Amino acid sequence: MRKTEKIVALLIPVLSILIAFIIGGIIIACLGKSPIAAYQKLFDGAFGTSTKFAQTLEIACPLIFTGLCAAFAYKCGVFNLGGEGQFIIGAVTSIAACLLLGLKGPGGVFVSLVLGMLAGAVWGAIPGIMKVTRGLNEMITSIMLNYVATLFMGYVYTNLLREGSTPQTPAIDESLKLADLPGTKTHWGFLLAVLLAVFLTYVIYRTSFGFQIRAVGMNPTAARFNGFRVKKLILLSFIISGAIAGLGGSIELQGKQFRLMNGFGQGFGFDGVAIALIAQLNPIGAALVAFLFGVLRKGSSSMQTSMKIPSSVASIIQALIIIFAVGGSALIRQPGFQKMLNRHHDRSTEGKGAQA
Amino acid sequence: MSAFLDSNFIQQLLLSTVRMATPILFVALAELYSERAGLVNIGLDGLMTFGAFMGFLVGYHTNNPWLGMLTGAAAGVAMNMIYAFFTVSMCAEQIVYGMAINILAPALATFFNRISFSDTSISIEGVRMSPVAIPGLSKIPFIGEILFDHPPMVYAVYALLIFTAVFFNKTKPGLNYKAVGEFPRAAETLGIRVIRTKYIASVICGALAGVGGAYLTICSTNTFSEGIVAGRGFIALSAVIFGRWSSGGVMLACLLFGFCDALQIRLQIVSPSTPYQLLQMIPYVATLLALLFFGIRRSGPKANGQPYFREER
Repeated sequence: MRKTEKIVALLIPVLSILIAFIIGGIIIACLGKSPIAAYQKLFDGAFGTSTKFAQTLEIACPLIFTGLCAAFAYKCGVFNLGGEGQFIIGAVTSIAACLLLGLKGPGGVFVSLVLGMLAGAVWGAIPGIMKVTRGLNEMITSIMLNYVATLFMGYVYTNLLREGSTPQTPAIDESLKLADLPGTKTHWGFLLAVLLAVFLTYVIYRTSFGFQIRAVGMNPTAARFNGFRVKKLILLSFIISGAIAGLGGSIELQGKQFRLMNGFGQGFGFDGVAIALIAQLNPIGAALVAFLFGVLRKGSSSMQTSMKIPSSVASIIQALIIIFAVGGSALIRQPGFQKMLNRHHDRSTEGKGAQA
Repeated sequence: MSAFLDSNFIQQLLLSTVRMATPILFVALAELYSERAGLVNIGLDGLMTFGAFMGFLVGYHTNNPWLGMLTGAAAGVAMNMIYAFFTVSMCAEQIVYGMAINILAPALATFFNRISFSDTSISIEGVRMSPVAIPGLSKIPFIGEILFDHPPMVYAVYALLIFTAVFFNKTKPGLNYKAVGEFPRAAETLGIRVIRTKYIASVICGALAGVGGAYLTICSTNTFSEGIVAGRGFIALSAVIFGRWSSGGVMLACLLFGFCDALQIRLQIVSPSTPYQLLQMIPYVATLLALLFFGIRRSGPKANGQPYFREER
């Protein structure tokens, strides 16, 4: 990519975030509240104290996983909207393992996380198999599986593993809860999420496997003519994508929620897709955007309690970011805009005699 | 088990099949009009949610179900214009933009819901469109009640279905419209205004999807809750594929999904001991199975999903 294009590509999400915040401010002003005071509350709620900041990171953690889940699949050209279902199935499998297998201690944590990851992979493989064998639209199949997973989770916490009169499962054993990172109040799942983002960046951009995944994503026909096994790669990308979300679900369970109840994982799937798109499918970018979403989620709830502004303002800001970010990426691909970029590029390289 | 074979059970089941199929049918037709002009719109869930809320809100305040429906349609159009502007004029990826609508529209609906009704934990009852029995026909034993005693929106969707079938197959504007979805460049050289057709398609799509949403809050129930749409937009999307882009096929697909929805509701009533979550899975699993057995690789409009760069020659 040329330098100007790189700068523009980086500028789009930043500008989108800025404009979305400005519009969010206008909405807050329309409610008769001061946008500046509201945003102060929002950021204070997210960063104010070390405890608040730790909570913000823990809220961002599952979003990093679902964001990476969506980004990885879309890198291979398939739209996995089933992150939420894979996330939930991961958590359901983990809690079943924790409660029924009598797991204990660090070994138990490991087993439970691996099982959750595998369950997510299996759940992700279903739309993948349907796609490669029957050519079915993976968006529809993965969405349907989200509803099945959510309902199944409901069945688990109201029937199979219910504790007492409230519809929820018992909490997992104390020894299975993820420990905090040294010197912080954030569980180590967050560090794992960040490391995963770095690792996926390496895999996607620096390995031959990643190259094949990207090639299929850019042009499956060309990839097939080059001898890449397109179907296998697509299926693999679904499995990996599902495994990422499943692991995220297990970590959310063992690091933060400790039990399943109504609303677990709700909205994480679509937020993950939004995060991936805003980050232009870059894993590290996805982690950063997930962090921003975490700030919005955490901060908006304190904004709601202290200023009576509905926390759904934050969802609107998130949605506007994606509207502008995706619109912006489309704008720079417009033939007219490309010509303008080229002219600028020609001018700037004229003196050096470089070829555009 | 005798409860299942009861003729009353079957009558109630078929009656709710018609009721449950209607919103899906509206939205599936919305998608059909969109895809026939080459626009894949996966934002149907979002359009429905927004239409459902705005329709409910206006119905609640004016006590007029028709105004509610109209507002639902207008809300769907307004929201879909965002999609149309970015995908048609800016050539943004349709799938991605549909997804953006799926995120924006429910966020707006939730926001307006929270500022309109201070306590959203109790369900507020709005207006409800009452059924209009068709004189004579509704008196036919058994099927009269199933087919001819519904809110007018139910009759409207079937009228629209017939109109759609005639429009796309028998009229010149309809064939021109279809050409835009098949081969826009050729259509343009024949003097068909591709961009304008795509915008018209988006208006129709937004209006029908909004009505489909408003049906849920004005006809099916008279309340709004977040998540009321529950994936019906995606079910409608699969109904279009499953019905192979033809009006008749889409109708059959929607009736099938409506039947599954009705079945799970009826089963919940006759068999309260079965965990309701397992019954609620029926429509989603049925959608998956229907696609698995009857869904076919690409047979939709040929230029579906592709951006149309007008100036690129």
